[in-house]
Amino acid sequence: MTTTSLSAGPSTRRRRVSTITWRVLTYIALVLIMAPAAWLLVSVLAHAAPHWQWSVLWTTLTPTGGGLRDQIVGTLILMLGVFIIAGTIGVLAGIHLAELARPRRRSGKASGGFLRTSSDILTGFPSIVLGYVGYTALVVGLHWGFSLLAALIILSIMVIPYIAKTTENSLRQVPTGYREGAEALGMSMGYGLRKVVLKSALPGIVTGLLLALAIACGETAPLIYTAGFSPTLPHSLTHAQFPYLTYVVYAYYNAPETQYHYLAFDAALILVVIVLLLLVVSRMIVSRTQRHAEGGRTRTRSRRRPRRPEPTGEPLDLVDLRR
Amino acid sequence: MKTLMRATRLKRGAIVTAVAGLALSSVVISSAASASAKLPKSGVETPSGGTVTETGSTLMYPLFNLWAGGYNTKFPSSTIQTAATGSGTGISEAENGTIAIGASDAYLSPSVVSANPDLKNIPTAISAQMVAYNVPGVLSHLKLSGKLVSEIYQGQVTKWNASQIASANPGVTLPNIPIVALHRSDSSGDTFIFTQYLSKADPSGWGAKVGYNTTVPWPAAPGALGENGNSGMVSGCKATPGCIAYIGISYLTQTLQAGLAYSALGNGKGQYVVPTQTSIAAEAAGFVKKTPANGTISLIYGNINNGYPIVNYEYAIVSTHQSSTSTAKNIRSVLEWAINSKYGNSSSYLSQVNFQPLPSKVVAQSLKQILSIQ
Amino acid sequence: MTSVGGVAGSIPATPHAESMGKPPPWKRVGSFFRRNEERAWRGSAWVAVVLPLAALVFAVSVLVIKAWPAVRVNGWYFLYGRNWTYGNGYGAVVHTDGVAHPTGAQFGAWAILWGTVVSSVIAIIIALPLSIGAAFALTERLPGWISRPLGFAVEILAGIPSVVLGLWGILTFGPWLAKNVYPIIADHAPNVPVLRYFRNPVGSGEGLLSASIVLALMIVPIITSTTRDLFLQVPPLPKEGALALGMTDWEVSNKVTLPWVRSGIIGATILGLGRALGETIAIAMIGGAVLHIPINIYQPFTTVAATILTQLDGALTDGTGFAVATLAELALVLAVISVAVNLIARLIISRTGRIGAPVGGA
Repeated sequence: MTTTSLSAGPSTRRRRVSTITWRVLTYIALVLIMAPAAWLLVSVLAHAAPHWQWSVLWTTLTPTGGGLRDQIVGTLILMLGVFIIAGTIGVLAGIHLAELARPRRRSGKASGGFLRTSSDILTGFPSIVLGYVGYTALVVGLHWGFSLLAALIILSIMVIPYIAKTTENSLRQVPTGYREGAEALGMSMGYGLRKVVLKSALPGIVTGLLLALAIACGETAPLIYTAGFSPTLPHSLTHAQFPYLTYVVYAYYNAPETQYHYLAFDAALILVVIVLLLLVVSRMIVSRTQRHAEGGRTRTRSRRRPRRPEPTGEPLDLVDLRR
Repeated sequence: MKTLMRATRLKRGAIVTAVAGLALSSVVISSAASASAKLPKSGVETPSGGTVTETGSTLMYPLFNLWAGGYNTKFPSSTIQTAATGSGTGISEAENGTIAIGASDAYLSPSVVSANPDLKNIPTAISAQMVAYNVPGVLSHLKLSGKLVSEIYQGQVTKWNASQIASANPGVTLPNIPIVALHRSDSSGDTFIFTQYLSKADPSGWGAKVGYNTTVPWPAAPGALGENGNSGMVSGCKATPGCIAYIGISYLTQTLQAGLAYSALGNGKGQYVVPTQTSIAAEAAGFVKKTPANGTISLIYGNINNGYPIVNYEYAIVSTHQSSTSTAKNIRSVLEWAINSKYGNSSSYLSQVNFQPLPSKVVAQSLKQILSIQ
Repeated sequence: MTSVGGVAGSIPATPHAESMGKPPPWKRVGSFFRRNEERAWRGSAWVAVVLPLAALVFAVSVLVIKAWPAVRVNGWYFLYGRNWTYGNGYGAVVHTDGVAHPTGAQFGAWAILWGTVVSSVIAIIIALPLSIGAAFALTERLPGWISRPLGFAVEILAGIPSVVLGLWGILTFGPWLAKNVYPIIADHAPNVPVLRYFRNPVGSGEGLLSASIVLALMIVPIITSTTRDLFLQVPPLPKEGALALGMTDWEVSNKVTLPWVRSGIIGATILGLGRALGETIAIAMIGGAVLHIPINIYQPFTTVAATILTQLDGALTDGTGFAVATLAELALVLAVISVAVNLIARLIISRTGRIGAPVGGA
């Protein structure tokens, strides 16, 4: 009931009710999001754990069961290949967008707008369409057949825009003072770029790379049509289908062999673990560098007021990439 | 003068004979060369070693898995890599050349044959298909005619206790639950043979409106669901009371374990036949004489006494023009092993999946096709 | 001795160099690299930026080339027609406009397009309020020691492979919904225009609503994270002023914060929409794969991406190549829709950039 006579009035109760309702609703929203996520993780664990054998990690897949060794190695190889190919191209692209594109006007707005827009368009491009293009052009058109090479190319195309975006963002967060200081000291453009700018943006770049890898390892649709699937690792880049984990989850959960059902959940668990590792490592990189960088906090303080973004950069979200 | 003419005639004769002899021998030699694949006494060539990739029919997948194990025991240097992706994929990937052997329950369509003259469908075994259902309380073989199944899948019969079903099955208590018709969402040979059965049994209804293919425009029956693969059909039917689904006979054990029952289907003579070894073999036997050299024939809905109506050849879709002689040898070896009644076509493998062996005439025809793979 | 910090690219001063003129060979190599380093960086970086654009152009050209025969024959019927049939594959081949196809082949993708759009829209309707509410809870209400791990949990949700979400959806979540949630809704839904679609039959959990809910779970991290960042960038002064005037939390949120970030949220939502439109595997697993419009919200359906995924394999059983061309046309339509949605989102975001607070994502 009303406590003070000054604020007493019919609207106060309504406002109090609406405020409390609002608070409750936001908590409910949070729970509605967290609960299915937690349920998902628990469910994957619960289905995989009862039949889990550590031998799954080092046994090959057989027609009646076996393990997932080659599939795990295959996923890791795909990630490594994407890291090298898409990493190089993406980081270079990000450098171009952040550093090298000359502003056309004196507006101060960075240029390279057209190239950035086109790069951004690719971030939301449907993966199945890229898979179809890969199938038509590389697998069938160039007669490579289902192959590692086709899969790497398509995955890289998918992931390069993400890496370019995070690289550009990290480079933009390097204070201009650093660049100006480097130039004042007489460093050549390349030298300054390498020794000063890239070095300070490195944590952000690496985080972006790790998060892009997390996206790449979870893809299924484009891989089905470029890598096919195989129980064992092939010996060549082309004309041989390639193993990876996500297909196991897609195709084996209701396969005729019961052992395959367990393998499907094992594969799901391993995928979740890989993604978790990548996310945790990227968080650690960022928090460690924040501690040492200027303006970083070494101890967390809880405040009720919203935090302002740090000058040396907010931790990058995986979610930032998907935007 | 006469001597000279005789000598000339003799010379001419000798030349003609020599030329004829050369021509004949060259014909003999070349024909021996074109039938270059020589079958050893065992009937199976030794492979060059390596992996032979197979993909396609989920109906044939359990058998190919068994074959892969047996083949690898006989030839340890060779492996068969199998996958269950659907007959449509088997045909497509064989067309593309991305895999070596495509397994399909469906023979090639004329358009595919004309676009790929090198592609062959080679019968390797005889299989069948059941129509299974999940009707609580009913574990017997319901008598369903082809026309009735067609009406169910068109959404014209919607409850299990409908009069059409009840009148064909007196004495069976049918619950009042809706029928959920399951179909295959992937491009499937099972769909092909099932819809061929419906088209032949109900030509004016299903045949005119829908037809048969590996993918068809399924009529909008209430609650109809698409499932992926034969195992998807089994698990989907298990999870959906009231469902009816067409499932390959190689999944009989799983079907029964899932608590489903399968029907006695109406055949061309109007009899209701349960799929058994005898009924499947009877249906197949009725078509042996008519099977052409290229293996393209439908064994469905024959006018055969006590023959089960949904029976088909399992085809290996292979191109006769392979990229290398060793690949061709590997493929030939696998297929020769598969159709040989001592090895792949023996009852030790086939009985595990409820298939029937190929009749000897068809074996000879398949062998001829296999030997043409170069 | 000359100072070290001299002209960029100059040779460091040594007594030898100045007196002898030409520098020794090993130093010349070094200076060559130094002088051309910038050119190397610029060149390679420019190539790197152009590559994605080239890939995009290449992809679209491949699609157009493959789809063209189908576009000619299918015409506008493709967009509004309801009949999707491969025709009589085992019958005669006919020619329309010079393009070969099986008799009776007709491709109307209305049901497929409908499924794509409707599932994404339902996913947004579910995801948007949840995301905004959760973002508020994370930034305004909860102390840092809770909100940071929960923020990390949202990130994890974004990273879960969609195939794992699909597996959970079809084996656990879908059946649970069909058994526990849908019957309650279905039994109480009245027979009025929109709510009619929530009535029985409830199905087995594989259908439009289940798939849309899982899609929403995929979009939520995108919108939540953007919204959280936006909230953090709202200048504190207007909010503190409102609080000083005696407005409650809810009123501050409603009247001050939300309007400030509205365009940013809309932009993020549209980006989430783009993600939902392209989602393939989860829908292929949970959606049920049925090529017509479902009669109610619990029944199976299909989307463009799921159709391409499941049908491409077998499309070559049509030897004329027409089925493959039609699937290419579907892919082209999806690509066009997705690019358009993406462009609209960036347009909205960039327009806000000039007015209000800077928004994440360029």
